Amino acid sequence: MSEPLHQNESIGIVTSGGLKENLHVRLNGTPQQVQEGSFIVIDSQDWKFYGIATDLQLQSIDPRYALEPSRARLPEELAGLLDRQTLYTNLVVLPALMLERGPEPDSADYSAWRRAIDSGDKEEPRPMPVKSIPAHHADAFLAGAGDVAEIFGKPEDESNFVIGYTREQDHPVCVNLDKLIQRSSGIFGATGSGKSFLTRMLLAGLIDHNRASVLVYDMHNEYGLDDTASDTGENVRGLRSGFGASKVQVVGLGGSATIRGSAPDFNLVLGYSDILPEDVELLTRELNLKETTATVLDALVQSLGKDKWFKAFKAMKRGATETTDGDKKVPAPDSVAFWANQNGVNVMAAEGLHDKLRRLFNKPYIVENPPADSIQALVEALKKGKHIVLSFGDYESDLDYLLVSNLLTRRIRAEWEQMTNEFRGKNGSEPRPLVIVVEEAHKLLNREMAAQTTFSTIAREMRKYYVTLLVIDQRPSQIYDEVMSQLGTRVCGWLGDEDDIHAVLSGLAGREALRGMLSRLQAKEEVLLLGWGVPMPILVHSRRYDELFWQDIKTSKKAGFDQAKVIKNLYGD
Amino acid sequence: MANDPQVNVQVGRLLRANTRACVAGCLPSQNFPPFGSLVSIDLGQEISAYGLVSDIHIDDDGLVRQLVTTPNISETVIQDNRVNRNVPVELSVLFVGHRSAGVISHRLPPRPPLSLDRVRACGEGDVCAFTSAGSLGYLRFILEAQDLPAADLLAAHLLQAGRAQRDHGDEQWFARAIDKVITQLRDDYVRLMPVLEALADVQRELGI
Repeated sequence: MSEPLHQNESIGIVTSGGLKENLHVRLNGTPQQVQEGSFIVIDSQDWKFYGIATDLQLQSIDPRYALEPSRARLPEELAGLLDRQTLYTNLVVLPALMLERGPEPDSADYSAWRRAIDSGDKEEPRPMPVKSIPAHHADAFLAGAGDVAEIFGKPEDESNFVIGYTREQDHPVCVNLDKLIQRSSGIFGATGSGKSFLTRMLLAGLIDHNRASVLVYDMHNEYGLDDTASDTGENVRGLRSGFGASKVQVVGLGGSATIRGSAPDFNLVLGYSDILPEDVELLTRELNLKETTATVLDALVQSLGKDKWFKAFKAMKRGATETTDGDKKVPAPDSVAFWANQNGVNVMAAEGLHDKLRRLFNKPYIVENPPADSIQALVEALKKGKHIVLSFGDYESDLDYLLVSNLLTRRIRAEWEQMTNEFRGKNGSEPRPLVIVVEEAHKLLNREMAAQTTFSTIAREMRKYYVTLLVIDQRPSQIYDEVMSQLGTRVCGWLGDEDDIHAVLSGLAGREALRGMLSRLQAKEEVLLLGWGVPMPILVHSRRYDELFWQDIKTSKKAGFDQAKVIKNLYGD
Repeated sequence: MANDPQVNVQVGRLLRANTRACVAGCLPSQNFPPFGSLVSIDLGQEISAYGLVSDIHIDDDGLVRQLVTTPNISETVIQDNRVNRNVPVELSVLFVGHRSAGVISHRLPPRPPLSLDRVRACGEGDVCAFTSAGSLGYLRFILEAQDLPAADLLAAHLLQAGRAQRDHGDEQWFARAIDKVITQLRDDYVRLMPVLEALADVQRELGI
């Protein structure tokens, strides 16, 4: 009973279930032959059903058989015979897809069925969401390499990227990168669950595939240059190190930025004129701004101009006074109060804003006259197909991250919208898709901020404009529901918090069944693939991000694809 | 079977019968078959009924009633009473199948035997042939029988059959029979466990 399963060996039969309550498969052997998250195939007449194991339950035909060990009353052999008939394991399978495989190839009906397809009278069968269920006593199997390839694509296909392997039998599971970039995606997992490695790997796949430009907001300077793994102390190759500066450029924030002592490919410096009132408004929580901020900012723009307000406001003096002839102290002409009085703005509100914006005024990466329009240079590089890792260097505070990422994304959004409109008006070429990678996404996409930032707009509608997000976060419950619901592909590592699990599964069928699975993933090794971008939920052992991975990328151009292994899996020895 | 020394050993003649069971009478001096053993009764027209000895009944008669309280009964008197008694030993037989035109079936015989038909003990070959046919469906007659010590009847039969099968080279037969019994009774925990405990003794006795 505990012998390893052979390929194509039935693991059990369907005994009950339905579309709403999942399918129950009575296992032939011990529960350890199957694990939660296994990819299960059920053969039922002319159809194949594909699902994921979501639960294993010990059952007995009478509770007394389970309560009293038979070995206490009977010899070993008799007890074994009794247990085999009275104790069993129920495998709960969440059905996801079905595929018409047609009659048996050697049957009389097969040729007619095939002819109908070849002549176009019948559509070529392809996996579709389950609309029916297998019959009683249909045989269930662990998915073979062919089944995995049928559903998730073949590793050798150009647009497929091997993200991991099935739990029991190590069959490669692919993500279709073309599909991945069509909608925004998310990578989630608690801290220490291997998110960064997973992200590096996926980004390497995207960059290697080269169908979209990638812009990474690298808040903690992890992705561009080589890093050291916090747990093993081993060197972790960065994206620029892996692909070279001709493909991936590291941009440092600030004029003299260095990233771990290395000079970036170029520096991003913001000009005063780049800062718009909306950039300040979205810092409301970070700067603890008051309700009056919008009014004051509006007055600043109205009186000083959209390009000049920041410079002029910075130059104003807080509390500067002068003495009139009558020995009366009045605001000096270069003071905040003077400007406020001149423009009908509450003095205290203006001075309060000025105080709070001092944190921005003092940022070294915001200068009056930047040496070059580095934002535009960055945008141009992306348009030309380069991939950018924007490292925040020493500016790792939330304030820096929120300001710069939103400001930059606003410019990018405008640029891509314009390119798309020109393309649709037949006045330009098709824009190159762009994936913006946002770390600590909840800081930009929380309920409070989501309405104000450009990111939520991108998540909602920029798919039409060739821009999508790849959000990375450890607290998905903090991300606004509306944004979460727009995420097509979700790659999720271990999550401990119930709210986070709920958030990741929002809007997905079978979320109740998947909930427990998420909380029991092995940290750093397993991820659950979910959502629109994958044909069905599946649990995979994630690939290792190591030198072997990079060798695969460089040599075969099909990372993780071992042709000999795949052939062996498909056709045996 | 023709070479089987125990085939066709007559053990008695039929007293009464119905479609499910019969009672045969025999003398105590005859070497009558033990409880649980397989017997056959020729019904004519190439049909034989198979049954298991499910009860052995020894009735008293007037002489025994007088003798039983007499002190110091001599051995001659005892032997005389046993050999020459007027009331036969009654063997109850539970039908478990039949053979028709050489084909063994685990269904009830098409008709019961008639009075004074010969009842014969089955030899090992016959036991193996009968118990190997089909998929042990005849065990249901034992397990479903009312007013019989089913566990002990089954144990006695499986001891005879298991020994015969083992001696004929099929050591797995006993396990298959147990499996069948479990299948038949698994929905009745209270009945199954004592049956299995009885069969555990048989297994030990068989040494398999």
